[in-house]
Amino acid sequence: MRTERREGERAAQYQNLLGLMGEPHGDRAAAPDALIKAIRMRSVMNCHRLAEAYRETSKVAYVSEQFPTEVVFAAGAMPWNIESMAIMLAQSVDVNRIFQLTQEKGLSRDICSFLRGPHGMMLANCYPTPDVVLTNDQPCEGLAKQMCLAGKRFDVPVIAMNTPESFDEDAIGYVARQIERMRERMAAELGLEGSSESLQRAVAFSNDAREYYRKTVALLETHKLPGISRELQEIFGMNYFGARENVTLCKALYQAAAELAKAAPGGGKRVIWIGQVPEETHELLRHMSREVEILYWAPLWNANLRSLDETRSLHSIAERAILYHWNAERMSVELERICDRFSVEGFVIVNVWGCRNIAGISPMLRDFAARRKIKHITINVDLVDRNNYAFNHVKNRVDAFLELMQ
Amino acid sequence: MITVGIDVGSLSTKSALMNNRLEVIASDVVLTGGTNRAAAETTYEQVLTKAGLTRDDVGYVVTTGYGRENVTFANKHLSEITCHGFGMHLINPEIRTILEIGGQDSKAIRIDEHGNVENFAMNDKCAAGCGRFLEVTARAMGVPLDQLGEVSAHSQNIVRISNTCTVFAETEVVSLVAVGTPIPDIVRGVHNSIAARAASLLRTVTISGRVGMSGGVALNSGVVRALADALKTDIYVVDNPQVRGAIGAAFIGQRQVASRDA
Repeated sequence: MRTERREGERAAQYQNLLGLMGEPHGDRAAAPDALIKAIRMRSVMNCHRLAEAYRETSKVAYVSEQFPTEVVFAAGAMPWNIESMAIMLAQSVDVNRIFQLTQEKGLSRDICSFLRGPHGMMLANCYPTPDVVLTNDQPCEGLAKQMCLAGKRFDVPVIAMNTPESFDEDAIGYVARQIERMRERMAAELGLEGSSESLQRAVAFSNDAREYYRKTVALLETHKLPGISRELQEIFGMNYFGARENVTLCKALYQAAAELAKAAPGGGKRVIWIGQVPEETHELLRHMSREVEILYWAPLWNANLRSLDETRSLHSIAERAILYHWNAERMSVELERICDRFSVEGFVIVNVWGCRNIAGISPMLRDFAARRKIKHITINVDLVDRNNYAFNHVKNRVDAFLELMQ
Repeated sequence: MITVGIDVGSLSTKSALMNNRLEVIASDVVLTGGTNRAAAETTYEQVLTKAGLTRDDVGYVVTTGYGRENVTFANKHLSEITCHGFGMHLINPEIRTILEIGGQDSKAIRIDEHGNVENFAMNDKCAAGCGRFLEVTARAMGVPLDQLGEVSAHSQNIVRISNTCTVFAETEVVSLVAVGTPIPDIVRGVHNSIAARAASLLRTVTISGRVGMSGGVALNSGVVRALADALKTDIYVVDNPQVRGAIGAAFIGQRQVASRDA
């Protein structure tokens, strides 16, 4: 069992985090007026969830990407997505120090910085100590291993979920049973009691938020809405579905999108960004955005647009978990839908060093693009660790791609 | 109307001067050195002198290459991928696949029947397989850069050289020299190493039609031979391959002038 948490441990960790705050890495791109409210709301929500997670009495659950957070909220815990938190905090903290720490511990620089980042944050002891680590084994097995390391480091239970690729009743039932057992263990070992009423409430909040999310995505199909795709990406990354305030945030974003749609602003040709996404002020994004409109791929996935069945919550959550799986055949079908509906003319395939997932599906993406006569570029880049990247190394090929798009 | 294309590369800066019949009247190459703006000025003046013209005779200047944005007198700047595409199309319209190996990068480019780029790929992570790689290994072997092709023709055995990292490859070459491996064999190994990497790059864009090679490394007959072996096809090498990007830039200048005057 885990060692007792020291008094004031989380307060110290919060101070460590504040101590890492550095200069912003770039100019904030001017946001359309209609969007400012939603952006500010997201900022406040992020501040609040940070503060909540650092409270000594909070129950914190480390979660991996696309984890069913409704289950966490139902248990009265705070989900802490170790990967997206690292990316969000990379805008503010001294990332060089973080990566130095990982190197000093012998973690190779060839490993994806989206994994080294969270590891460094833990080495810097500025993530709040978790009460439990909850992980699924997709989309990234490296992340799943990272989660297990986190469990060992903090000496807390790790509850892992295996998600099969096949989408059938056997597989869905298998995942649903795992989620049920996960809830039982959280209750038995941690006192994180998630009643069926609290689960139902979290699922209802999730669905309410999803309704606004879906309507926003629908507006994006027919209108060029500057900044909206980025906000969808942020909401997808936060994965706060199941929390009441996420409904308010998704509603504010939808209202902003509806307002922008009335003005019908123009924009460049549409490209989708496939792969890990850097923080919003990253020079690569700013450079490309001058010529093309960037839509982020992941927030548009079908799994993000589904409502949960409130009468069969776990079954429905299990379905969604499988649909999040990086299955190349299903992804190809998804791409067809996204390209058709959003009038996509280009792919930006971004492979952060060491990401085997993107490397694995890249041939499918390139074949798809060739078949559909979609212009594409593959950029091998490190979006976070400046020791592995210089803008000038990739600018030339990006410019050539932008010339192709014209 | 006269147009000039200037290709400001990492090692050398090239210029080409073209008339409205799309004839290259003059070309020039200078070392880039520390200041690419100065190199662009120098080659611009030199190409004008060669053609017996002055700046007032030039209607449009297009720059390309890594230093393209630093040239203040340019009317337009474009990536060398676009420029090499048109430059190669101009010399041989049958070419659909291009390998351009420059000082610090290599590019596989596929073009359509009009010279427009359809797809491209570039090396990343390291300059292994590029001009700099040849420069470094040539120095380690004590062979002048422009004699590498001829030396490799005398090779009797194949020596394998890795192509992951320029610095590591140099270490390998130094070790091979130290144990008395014949220099022609090492040079051939270096060429094979570059060709293997280039062949992979070309396959990622799908090889179709005639394959042409441009960029300074195309002057090395050993690399061209190794590439032809790796791809099992003839490689079309243009005259003045290192100036092809500048010619493409000058050609784009002609198109700009034509559309402006239309």
